[in-house]
Amino acid sequence: MLSNSCRIQLPSFEGPLDLLLYLIRRDEIDIYDIPMAHVADQYLEYIRDAQEMNLDIASEYLVMAATLTRMKSKSLLPIHRIDGEEEEDPGAELRRQLILYRTFREIAKELHRSEETWTDIYTSTGERDRWSIGNTAVEPGQTSLLDLLRALDNLSEGEIEPPTQRIQRKLLTITECIQTLEKTFHTGDMVSFRSVVGQKPTRAKIVSYFIAILELIRRGWISFHQAYPFSEIELKRTERWTVDS
Amino acid sequence: MILDRLAREVEALIFASDTPLSVEQLCEYTGSGEDSVQQALDRLNNAFLDQQHALIIIEVAGGFRIATDKDFGSIVSQLFEGRKPGKLSRASLETLAVIAYSQPCTRMAIDSIRGVNCDSAIRTLLERDMIRISGRMETPGRPLLYSTTRVFLEYFGLNDLDHLPRSEEIAELLCMSSSEMEEKDLFGVADEE
Repeated sequence: MLSNSCRIQLPSFEGPLDLLLYLIRRDEIDIYDIPMAHVADQYLEYIRDAQEMNLDIASEYLVMAATLTRMKSKSLLPIHRIDGEEEEDPGAELRRQLILYRTFREIAKELHRSEETWTDIYTSTGERDRWSIGNTAVEPGQTSLLDLLRALDNLSEGEIEPPTQRIQRKLLTITECIQTLEKTFHTGDMVSFRSVVGQKPTRAKIVSYFIAILELIRRGWISFHQAYPFSEIELKRTERWTVDS
Repeated sequence: MILDRLAREVEALIFASDTPLSVEQLCEYTGSGEDSVQQALDRLNNAFLDQQHALIIIEVAGGFRIATDKDFGSIVSQLFEGRKPGKLSRASLETLAVIAYSQPCTRMAIDSIRGVNCDSAIRTLLERDMIRISGRMETPGRPLLYSTTRVFLEYFGLNDLDHLPRSEEIAELLCMSSSEMEEKDLFGVADEE
């Protein structure tokens, strides 16, 4: 049986996949035949240890804990196989993730080795230009959004004149909308929403009238009908409008 | 060893250029053919070696550069003390590895491969110009797409993206579904450490 004597010394992991790969390696588990119950237990034990030490457990670790627990419970239940229907192996997706992540973890190590080598090599220009204080002139097309944001950050706020222009906006209240409707809309009339807002309505007008109509529907003063989503809304004034008001 | 005119022209061009010069550019500026430029580069490097210079011509980011020999790394680094940024963290390196092979890619794609949120690593890499925002994906939410930069190639001494280690194998791996992966015994290979 796999020994539990070696307690994890809580090395730092780059996420749940990193931790899982560690456990799989430590216990010499065959990735194609993961003993779900065992791995889930080991994983949860690690999480508990970390919690005991008051370490903040990132939510990603807890999501993986939930996934593993679910896979463990599935592995313990008898499998119902319906003929002709291939049950999807929940472990397959996890294995795919582990293989991908492990590959990139190896690549990251290789990059680190290149970094070690190249950090001692200095070119006549290049990288070190970026560390000098006065930066070189910018060619068209070489600036990125990030450069602009950095430049914006560097501007002190006091230098920016606050805009003084006032833009007058015509207010259209819901009450006004209802009053207009009251005058133009008679009991029994069938009107479409489009004709209520008229030709080329502004966005504000559409929204105001729409809210006004919602309000009238709530009060039961009009009824509506719409054949399917996004189609024309047909409105009908009910008797209650006149009675209530 | 006395250097010929062409070798010295190549030397002058590479020395003065602010970006790595490709063989094609060197041919264009010197008016020589590819073979003679290549040979001139070899003669130059031989001359550097023969005379025990601290300099060497290297091929990086698709072109040639004059660089200092790595034996002088620590002495040269004094020039940039306090200015040269530190080495990249493991999180940054992993994030960069994912971006390098699957670019242009979204933050979601990086997160899902690494199994953790990569926001801060992405921010670090953007600040260090290792990656750039290369566009948006035309899907709901129009997420930003990230790609690597020339700075990335130079930093890791890569000639171009095709020179990334195991590039074909990983490109294939990225396209595979879980069932396809099952068929190949992938987990057995490349057992590290």
